[in-house]
This record gives sequence, structure tokens and C-alpha cells, in this order.
Amino acid sequence: MSVPRGEGSPHRSRRIPIALLALAALVALAGTAEAQTSARGAARFDRVIVLGIDGVDYRLLRQWIDDGRLPNFRRLAGLGDFKPLQTSMPPQSPVAWSNFITGLDSGGHGIFDFIHRDPRTLLPFSSMSEVKPPAQTTKFLGIKLPNHIRLPGSDHLLPLAGGTTENLRQGKPFWKTLGEHGVPTVIQRAPVNFPPLETERGRALSGMGTPDVQGTLGTYAYYTDAPPPGYESFSGGKIFPVDVYDGKVEARLFGPPNDFIDYDRIQRRTGVRVAYQDRKASVPFTVYVDAENPVAKVVIDGKEILLEQGVFSPWVEVNFHLLPTPGFIRWAWHDLVGVTGMVRFYLKETHPDFGLYVTPVQISPMHPALPISSPDEYAPDLAEAIGPFYTQGLPEDTKALDRDVFTNDDFMKQAGLVVDDENRMAQYELERFRSGFLFLYFSVIDQIGHAMWRTMRGQETHPAHRSGIDDPYADVYVGIYEELDGMVGRALEHVDDRTCLIVMSDHGFSSWRRAFDLNRWLLDNGYLALKPGTAPSSVSYLQGVDWNNTRLYAIGINGLYVNQLGRERYGIVPPGPQKADLLREVASKLEAEVDPTNGERPILKVFLNSEIYSGPLAAQGPDAQVGYNRGYRASDESAVGEVTDAVLSDNRRRWSGDHCQDYREVPGVILANLPIRTREPALTDMAPSILTLFGVPVPEVMKGTPIF
Amino acid sequence: MFGGGHKVKVSDELYERIVKYAKLAGYSSVEEFVLHALEKQLAQLEEAQSDEEIKEKLKGLGYLG
Repeated sequence: MSVPRGEGSPHRSRRIPIALLALAALVALAGTAEAQTSARGAARFDRVIVLGIDGVDYRLLRQWIDDGRLPNFRRLAGLGDFKPLQTSMPPQSPVAWSNFITGLDSGGHGIFDFIHRDPRTLLPFSSMSEVKPPAQTTKFLGIKLPNHIRLPGSDHLLPLAGGTTENLRQGKPFWKTLGEHGVPTVIQRAPVNFPPLETERGRALSGMGTPDVQGTLGTYAYYTDAPPPGYESFSGGKIFPVDVYDGKVEARLFGPPNDFIDYDRIQRRTGVRVAYQDRKASVPFTVYVDAENPVAKVVIDGKEILLEQGVFSPWVEVNFHLLPTPGFIRWAWHDLVGVTGMVRFYLKETHPDFGLYVTPVQISPMHPALPISSPDEYAPDLAEAIGPFYTQGLPEDTKALDRDVFTNDDFMKQAGLVVDDENRMAQYELERFRSGFLFLYFSVIDQIGHAMWRTMRGQETHPAHRSGIDDPYADVYVGIYEELDGMVGRALEHVDDRTCLIVMSDHGFSSWRRAFDLNRWLLDNGYLALKPGTAPSSVSYLQGVDWNNTRLYAIGINGLYVNQLGRERYGIVPPGPQKADLLREVASKLEAEVDPTNGERPILKVFLNSEIYSGPLAAQGPDAQVGYNRGYRASDESAVGEVTDAVLSDNRRRWSGDHCQDYREVPGVILANLPIRTREPALTDMAPSILTLFGVPVPEVMKGTPIF
Repeated sequence: MFGGGHKVKVSDELYERIVKYAKLAGYSSVEEFVLHALEKQLAQLEEAQSDEEIKEKLKGLGYLG
């Protein structure tokens, strides 16, 4: 892919110790070069704590503080200040948190959307991180050699190098600068920080962007003898039809793709291509279902777990063996040729139908298969101190809720587990925090906002609201604000006159009632063309687009791209005045669109790349970002390069709140126990502000200015 | 076009462009340039992830239904 890679060398997978040793040597050398402590002025505080609460909305927080429901937020505001915090465009978490982390806009850190596209292949990919399997070949003294040893008489390979794990964000995190100036740092689950960058005197655990063991953003499994219609096409989860025979269910839990097998050889031998799903390592398990009571027992990987209907099991470690090895040496081989994952089971129902949900297989914090912490021992140490926890970024399972694998109640129970993780991690770090910088991240307000917005009081006319079913959940959203209010209270207990406490969010929130299919609009308005005979509904990931007659296309949640000559694989629009005229023309038309059902404008403003980005990476981003009105957002289909039948449609998904709109409509918040000097603080101001609180000079490259 | 028992037909116009850029780029022969270009393009394609894999990796994103 053409996107430049994250700072420093790519992190090597831990499977092959030889490769790790080499990397460790490189990291050690890099560390030596940067170890010197630079000059630092007088610090205003010994300790700065930031609670980074994703998705706290300025209007709602103001309202609920005024209603007296959030006494600790009110107290903090009274000690200093409370203002809206200008978010990024687009106001998507990876973009917004990258602005916070680097003090740069997307032109500097290179994150423009959850989804980027490769102009060479025109395929979308996740913008935050990339996990790659080992390369098939390597070069030694200019000679191309196989990167594996073939095990005689079998289809198995022993790779000679590990895969790579890369953070795709560019730009230097401000906490690395703090570390270089001797300030200790603890960074808990910061988004777009996988794998975490090693920092002088720092500890970090990765957050949003951390994959599950399968390398995806989260894929749950659901085993049932009553699969719902259309289950084969569910996204974000796999439904496995099973039979309950004599009170017993036999199934398999799928783990990482097995790179130790030569699939080409199998295809040559059998003539059959091994499908991607079948390339995954798996572990068999058996469920014994009680004939009368709503309980069951799971036997997996030598462990027995008792399950009670409606209750999540404790975390269970599962070992995926990538090469067949005799049992007596398996323990010794496991670090070389195995991956340890971790799951919770949730017995959803036993009679008359059987349903067992299993969480996405987490990278185990006790035995991490990929680098989720820096230093490496931080994740296992934390797990030992507070117990196992979700390691996947954004672990609230909104995908299971979207397809009714979870009910509202199931989802709130599962989100409660995440709240518990976040609280335990925060409490542990707050209690041992003596000096320096502490960042604690909380995802639940954002994720519950997305998933449960339709249940809120006042949302009874939301297209996704189900009368009767959703009404009992009218207070869950304010309830989660109250939960976080408790966390603010616990943080306030650690504040003294040498401690600065900042509570902030990356963006606000709004309803999402109507979906705008930007690719359909481009098709209807002659900017995008399909190959002859191609039905719009058959276009997937932009395949089926007639590139010779396409001037614009949409990919990502807010991104609009010109099919540019010399950049896109089949580009036709020359850069320069012709491109600029095209963008001005399309912006003006989109901003004039009106929703015939209510007379509202779905799009408030189309922001041109040159208006909002500066920096060396700006040209890699979309040519324009679409600023949707409150209540509107790009359709799911348009975001991945598909085309539906209508430009506008009701959003009936459980995912009923959103914020990927015009950034001016969804500001985040900032509260601190000291006054904010500037009238309109912005996310890019945060890095320079925190550096200044410690007396550390602000790098010239940063866009923002100190606000305190 | 070149040896080894395999030939590829190209138009005169393309061949002229190949000759021109092979010289400009400092290749010792047209054949060396063509082989290098093909190797490079194939390596890119071989490294590309399968569509199936790309889709699965994105599907966990809650923002997409």
C-alpha cells in the first residue's frame, strides 16, 4: 500500500524469536540515540492526568450537568473551566485522537478516515494499523530465497521470519517528547497506538486499532441450531449452525490464519483453492447442554467451563497450534509455532433453541501474540495485577447487537464488562501514579451512544426505534454518563495543587436517522459510471465501476476522491485547474441537495482537502471531506464502495447515533481544574498545552497553541 | 519479443516507448527493462491481500452494517 508507515521500524510478530532478537537489537540502538534528556523549563505541575472519554457531547454534557445528574463533572468545571473542544474534520475517532496525539492535522499524521483506499488497487483498508503475514520470499545478497523451510512429506512450512505489525499513523506522539525530557508517562489504551511506540520512562497499552487474534477489528462467533435468515452475510461475526445431539454440541473455535501451511501446494495437488475461512487455525470444543436447566458445560483445550444462561463466563485462554506437534513437546514449541488467544462464552439460550455466543478471540494480555504494550511486560503485569481484560480496540460488540444475536439486554451486559475493565485499569494506575503524565481512555460513552441512541427519550420517531422493546432502555445513555461521572469523582480524589486534571472527548454526538449514498448520488449525477450491464446493487468494493468514464468516487465514511490521472490506477482527471473546477462544481451541487421527506439539507459543507489540511501527507487523503448535517451520515454501502438503489434512505440499524458529520456540529468537550485562556480550544492544541504544563518546549511542527 | 521460448507481441508505439525509457532509465537492454518491470508488477500483485481477507478485516468496524 502506498500509505507511509508508522514511526520507527515495523514491529515484528512474536512467533519467531530470531526475528524478535534482531528487532530488539534495533530498538535498543534507536533507544540509545534518543536517550539524552533535552532542556526543560519550569513545570507548572508535577502530575497531569487526562481522562480521554470518547464521544462526550458538549450539548448533552451541558444539559445533564445543568439537570444536576453529573455532580463530579460540575465540580471539575467549577474548579477551572468547561468548554466545547473543536474536533477534527472528519470527526472520526482515529482522525480526532491522532490530532490530539501529534498536535498535527491529517496532513501531518496521515489518518483521514477509518477507511483509506489504495489508489493502485482501489481497494479499501483499515487506516489505523496493519498486521501482515510473513513474506513468501526473502532476499539474501540479492538472491531471492524462500522464506520458509518445508517440512518433508507434508503441506506444512516453518517460516523463517515473523509477520509485521505496523501503526499507520505518522507524527510523533507528544508523550514521546515528554519522555525525552525526563517526564514519566503512562498511556492506557490510546487510540491509533497499536503497536505502542516505545517511550523513555513510559508504559503504554494499545487501544482502538488493536485487532483480535484473527487480525480483524473484531469477529464474534455464534453457535446455534436455529440460525437466523441471511446469516451467511452477517458482518463482524460468524454464525455457525450446529446440531444438539444427545445433549451435546461439537464445534470449532477459529483463530488466526495459519501461515504455516503451503496453500498453493494444496491447490496444485487437489485443484481446489483453500478458502480464506478454511485457512484459519481452530480448536475443537464440546458443549454439554443440561436436559432440564438453562446451564451447560464447555470443554475446550483441556479446560472445563460451567455456563449459566445469560451470564458471561470468565476469560478462558485457548492455544491455537499452527503445526502438528506431539503433546509432550507442545509446551516447548508453543511460543514458536502457536498463538494464545482468550475468549468469554455467553450461553444465550438452551431450550428450545440452542445459542452460544463467543467473544472475538482476544490477544491474551498474559501471553500476547502481538505487541500490545510497551514495554512488552506491561500487559502481562497489568493482567496479573487486575485480572484479564479485553485487548481488542472498541470491544463493545455492536455488531452482534446489529444482527439481533444480542438483545439490548445482552449488549448492555457485555458493554458492562468493558466498563468494568476500564474502571479497574484506571483505578490501578491512579493509585500508583506519583509523577508525570497519565492518560486513561474510556470507550463506552461512544459505543453505547452509537448502539443505544434510538432508545433515548425523545428518539421515539427514530427509524430504528422499536416501541415497547426500546422504551425500557430510555435512561441507559444518561446512565453511562453518570457512570463516568463516578470516574471523574475518583480522579478528583487524586488532585492536589500540583496535579492538573483534564477531562476531554474527541468529538460529540448526534442522531443518525437518514443515510446518504454518496456513490449513488455520483452515479445519478454523471460523475461515476458503471461497466455496461452492471447493476448498481452488484457493485462491491468499487468493483464494477467503469473507470474510463468515472471522475469521482466515494470511499470511507466522509471521503470523496477524484479519479486522478497518474494517481489512481485508471485515473482520467488531470490534476490542476480541471480537478479544482470539478471539486468546486460537485461541492456546490452536494451542498444544495435537499431531503424531500423533511426539507433538510443532508450536507452542510463539502470541505476541500486544501482548506482543511496542511503538511506533507495531505495529498494522500481524500480530495474532499463531506460534512453531513446532524441526523445524516454516509450510508454503510457507500463507505465501502457499494451502490444502492436510492440516494437517501432511513437508517434502521441498531447503530442509530453517529458523529461522522460536519465537525462544527459535533464538538467534543474539555474540562480542567484550571482556566482555559483561548476562546475556541481545539484537539490540536492539546499536545502543545500538555507539553507546556511540564515546561517542555513545543516542537515547531505542531499546529496548535497552548490553551492554559 | 525475447528469448526462452516465450514471445509477447507489443505494438510499435509501445515498443518505441519501451526503448526510449529503457535508455533513459539506464538499463543495459530493452529485455532487462521489460523483465524488471514485469517482476516489479508481479511482486506487487503477489503481495496484495485477497479481497476476501480485506473485506473480513473491515467488517468488524461497527460503523459499517
